[in-house]
Amino acid sequence: MAVYKRTYAAYEGSLTPTWSRFLILPRYSFARLWQSRFLVMFFMACFFYPLGCIGYIYLANNLSVLSSFGIPAPLGNVLKVQPSLFLYFCWVQAAFTYLLTAFIGPSLVSPDLVNGAMPLYFCRPFSRTEYIAGKMSVLVFLLSMVTWVPGLILFTIQASLAGWEWTKANLWIAGSLFIGLMVWILMLSLLALALSAWVKWKIAAGGLLLGVFFAGAGFGTALNSVMRTTYGSLLNLTEVMFTIWSKLFRWPSDTGISVEASWICVGVVCAICLWLLIRRVRAFEVVK
Amino acid sequence: MMGRWLSQIGLVIRLEMRKTFFSRRGIWVYLLALAPVLIFLGHSLSEINNRKERQALNAAHPVSTAALRSIERGSTIEEVVEKVGEPFAKNGFRRRDFIVDIYEYTDGENVFGFGFRNNRLENINERDRDTIAKDSLVFAGVFQFFFLRLAIFFGCVGVFTNLFRGEMLDKSLHFYLLTPIRREILTIGKYLAGLIATVVIFCTSTFLQLAALSLHFTGSEISEYLTGPGWGHVASYLGVTAAACLGYGSIFLIAGLLFKNPIIPAATVLVWEGMNNFLPAALKKVSVIFYLQSLSPVVAPPDANMPPLQKLLLTAAEPVAPVWAVLGLLTLTVVVVAIAARKARKLEINYSTD
Repeated sequence: MAVYKRTYAAYEGSLTPTWSRFLILPRYSFARLWQSRFLVMFFMACFFYPLGCIGYIYLANNLSVLSSFGIPAPLGNVLKVQPSLFLYFCWVQAAFTYLLTAFIGPSLVSPDLVNGAMPLYFCRPFSRTEYIAGKMSVLVFLLSMVTWVPGLILFTIQASLAGWEWTKANLWIAGSLFIGLMVWILMLSLLALALSAWVKWKIAAGGLLLGVFFAGAGFGTALNSVMRTTYGSLLNLTEVMFTIWSKLFRWPSDTGISVEASWICVGVVCAICLWLLIRRVRAFEVVK
Repeated sequence: MMGRWLSQIGLVIRLEMRKTFFSRRGIWVYLLALAPVLIFLGHSLSEINNRKERQALNAAHPVSTAALRSIERGSTIEEVVEKVGEPFAKNGFRRRDFIVDIYEYTDGENVFGFGFRNNRLENINERDRDTIAKDSLVFAGVFQFFFLRLAIFFGCVGVFTNLFRGEMLDKSLHFYLLTPIRREILTIGKYLAGLIATVVIFCTSTFLQLAALSLHFTGSEISEYLTGPGWGHVASYLGVTAAACLGYGSIFLIAGLLFKNPIIPAATVLVWEGMNNFLPAALKKVSVIFYLQSLSPVVAPPDANMPPLQKLLLTAAEPVAPVWAVLGLLTLTVVVVAIAARKARKLEINYSTD
């Protein structure tokens, strides 16, 4: 065909349904992420603790195995599956997800902004909400795979071993696992995306995520000791989450902050991150 | 030759200064440095306010410190009121088998709380106003656990990793590499620029923190403290701040040269430095914070809210003499900067991979 005849023609192929368009972004993101061997290895390492928990649950429900190894009964009696097991599961897995987010999060939005790719996204039938949902789904999916999904598997294993009575009495643990870890994942994902959108350097965004948690915790502790208050702990996001988890798992919390204040703090952090994201993710950018 | 090298170092420092001090990217370093100043300022202002309040209450309910201290446990409410008059605040509650009354007095400086159970004085709670000795302990805690370990640490991560890695990301390092100066000179110049910037920013912050903390003390209290150990403490804190910038700066300079993503070594160093209190004595010495703590004039008490299990794991090590601590940090810096200079000599950049 002659070049001059190559004029514009509308696309006539099948369209991706509107509801699932945001899934295009994770498809490409995952393809890029799994190329990193470090990420694959770290992702595998995230499952060591859940595997250890499975072993613990098995032993706690099969004390006869212990006695066959010559371990006396009193030690066997110490092994009990309590809500604290799931609380510590949340705690440990949250630490892994934090590192995972620090590794993945910064590379999600900043390259699109640095390379001026936003107009290319938004000149298509693709909204800002879909963009944010798409980018966030990368983190939500990965973090879910190492948090509440194995958590619920642990619960199921315990339920199958302990019987219906235990399951009926402790069904709330499954709900607490899901809600507690989903809140953590949402906050972490929004924080990572907001930092990635505002700090164009991937390295700096990763460092800032590290700083928000560590320097925030340190500043909060300093504020508490100088001003003789406990409100400084609200700057320590890990303590805030631990307070929420403690309440969800009906475990006494000694963080010194109330559950209501913790929920408000999480809400404020998420709202600020969302606002920052919406301000940054635009089809145009004014370059000064 | 030496003169030329020195002038070249001076030129590199001058170029880098503008980037480090006045760039928008560096604003967060200032915020990090000023954050503890705000805390101490807030503390001082609240103490000034509290003292004014106590003095007003004392004027309305005058009572002397000696009279308040002379009250003994077992006295009745009537006896106490007869001796020191009416309190400025009365609280209490009633249960089935006992009544609790709390009477609060102030001598204008301290607050005394007297707790009565069934009309018998059981508890005397004296809340003294802050003294320099008390505040210097609080300052030592904030300085060692927040300022050194987090504020200066992250400040140095930002400034020193930016020296080489930042230029690679900005695709501007080749301008330096194309100039007719030795790479060692470039490395030393950049390191000194980062060091000057961090020392100026963080030493100013340390000084402002001390100034903010002393705001609520009277002139006589401050001059008494300064004629005693005061000036020595101020000099030591400024010296430790500079030493922290020296030590951490060299580590993050080389991290920016060796690692594509310097956050991974930064996180590793952060964890290592953070767990220093729990390490055995021999391993403690393989860290910067150990030498900085050895140089600090006041030993910070451990966190009162630390879980008992963590308290059990705390280990103590004899601090090294200040001379050895300074020598240790200087040696570390010289060795690390020398390795960085050697690495810079063979530095090749390929922006497409960065």
